[in-house]
Amino acid sequence: MTRNVGIVGGGHTKWGVREASYKDLIQEAGKATFEDVPDVTPEDIEGLFVGSVQPERFAFQTHVAPMVAELLGVDVDSMIARTELACASGQAALRYAWLAIAAGQIDTALVLGVEKMNLPREYTPEAQTSMANVMDREFDGVNGFNAPPYFAMIAQRHMHEYDTTREQLAQVAAKNKTHAANNAFAHFQKEVSVDDVYDSFELSPPLCLYDCSGVTDGAAGLILMSEEKAREVTDEAAWITGSGQTCLGSNSINNLPSMSAWPQATKAAEQAYEQAGIDDPVAELDVAEVHDCFSISEIVEYEDLGWVEKGEGGKFMEEGRSELDGDIAVNPRGGLLGCGHPLGATGVSQALEVFNQFRGTVEPERQVPDPETGLIHNLSGSASVHSVMTLARGRL
Amino acid sequence: MNENQGDNADDERTERAAPDQRAGVEPITDGGTDRDVVEIPKTIELPRLLDFYELQNAETTEIVEFYDNLRDGQLTTTECRECGELHFPPRIVCPECRSEDLEYVDLPHEGELFAFSTVRAGAPMGMEDEVPFVTGIVDLGDVQLSGRIDDAEYDDLEIGDPVELKIVEIDGPVDHERVFYRFEPQE
Repeated sequence: MTRNVGIVGGGHTKWGVREASYKDLIQEAGKATFEDVPDVTPEDIEGLFVGSVQPERFAFQTHVAPMVAELLGVDVDSMIARTELACASGQAALRYAWLAIAAGQIDTALVLGVEKMNLPREYTPEAQTSMANVMDREFDGVNGFNAPPYFAMIAQRHMHEYDTTREQLAQVAAKNKTHAANNAFAHFQKEVSVDDVYDSFELSPPLCLYDCSGVTDGAAGLILMSEEKAREVTDEAAWITGSGQTCLGSNSINNLPSMSAWPQATKAAEQAYEQAGIDDPVAELDVAEVHDCFSISEIVEYEDLGWVEKGEGGKFMEEGRSELDGDIAVNPRGGLLGCGHPLGATGVSQALEVFNQFRGTVEPERQVPDPETGLIHNLSGSASVHSVMTLARGRL
Repeated sequence: MNENQGDNADDERTERAAPDQRAGVEPITDGGTDRDVVEIPKTIELPRLLDFYELQNAETTEIVEFYDNLRDGQLTTTECRECGELHFPPRIVCPECRSEDLEYVDLPHEGELFAFSTVRAGAPMGMEDEVPFVTGIVDLGDVQLSGRIDDAEYDDLEIGDPVELKIVEIDGPVDHERVFYRFEPQE
């Protein structure tokens, strides 16, 4: 028997190349989060979950969860941990906070995702080493497999097997970056056209620079509560209706199930849909924040989250079905392509975006009309793990 | 702010602005010119596990036979004598049946290019001077593995192109001989 759990508030730092330290980002996000829910104070927090991937490499700091507790004045009396799941670390933190509350262990949790990724420019190769180490370092990272060439190969295979077009990839990038142009905290606040994507530097063909998410500093926080507690502090929440996660016992190149399909995403989505009672995701989901680390990723996700037949993802984009007024508004926040991708913070920010879409507090240019249901999705590493969470608007 | 800032802009220690005067304890400051100096290294040598190549000797890995075979000119991997499962990367315990009774078997040295791209910027440490380089996934039949594709231009390659193994020596910060495998287009 599990309990109903809701997101009752959250907050954000400005994302970008920040002239700020790891600890500064934590404090900014914490302040914004607590200010969003005036009736919850740091003293109310029973569990603290911090999503952060490489503080040891980017900020030379470990044991970061107690650092967050100290900086935000949180006396944790039940659960405290940092979660590391590469690009899905923020969603992992959110998932564990949900589980802890659903299981009745705690009533109130703080989830904070943070990453300081920008080192001085001369240390770019060092930062890229840390990113290549997200793959199996000994057998894949060694071959220069950081994210851009790896996802370029996924694009190449998807185009080869399913006739997905370069233009469809560019349409995803232009859509998401244009959403971000109207998002005050996004790293990249400039409208981008399909031609602009083509004209950007061809970093790892077929992918150009604008097909890639940025190297971004940022943090975001969420407060989660049991329904009973939530009713004491707010009249609006985003209920977590389902949460699935899958890894098929594979991580390195030889053992991954496919270079053009992510069956892990399909399984994770099926778990979440079943918990949420969603039979027809395209008809029932209003807004989705999916992991567009690269433009190709979003197209594969349309397919493997069960929205269209395999190979039809490019058409889903081309036909406008993922636009703000389409079947499912995908990445109205601006996605990783527009907001940037401070690894540990992304999943937290996506969930906050869905809640903000529900309560109508986002910039009007990117507001989805009256959303009632939402989804967040993150892949991590070599896309060996996929995490899916469904949310529903709650009026208390 | 210190009015004099900028006069000695080349020397960070002298250009630093004096702290604003506050009430209370007199600051311990002499302009920063007479302080004890703590020396730390100006550069730090590449840590041994940041050069991407394992140490490849018996003191550091239990798959040393893989690297020994590679030094001898043969790409190999482990196969389970109990259940027959072929692994790549090589293992010390079979993930299918937990047996430790594994043997090293030869992998083919010729295969087909399954996927490839090129790295034009943003390469990891130790590779930044090699850009642009081609990297890809090679299908050897029973195993599909990643590998650098040497002596090739991205625009000249196609999926399915035949490639063959080459073995390179690694000249780095450790004393013992290290090697790794790459691929190149077949003649």
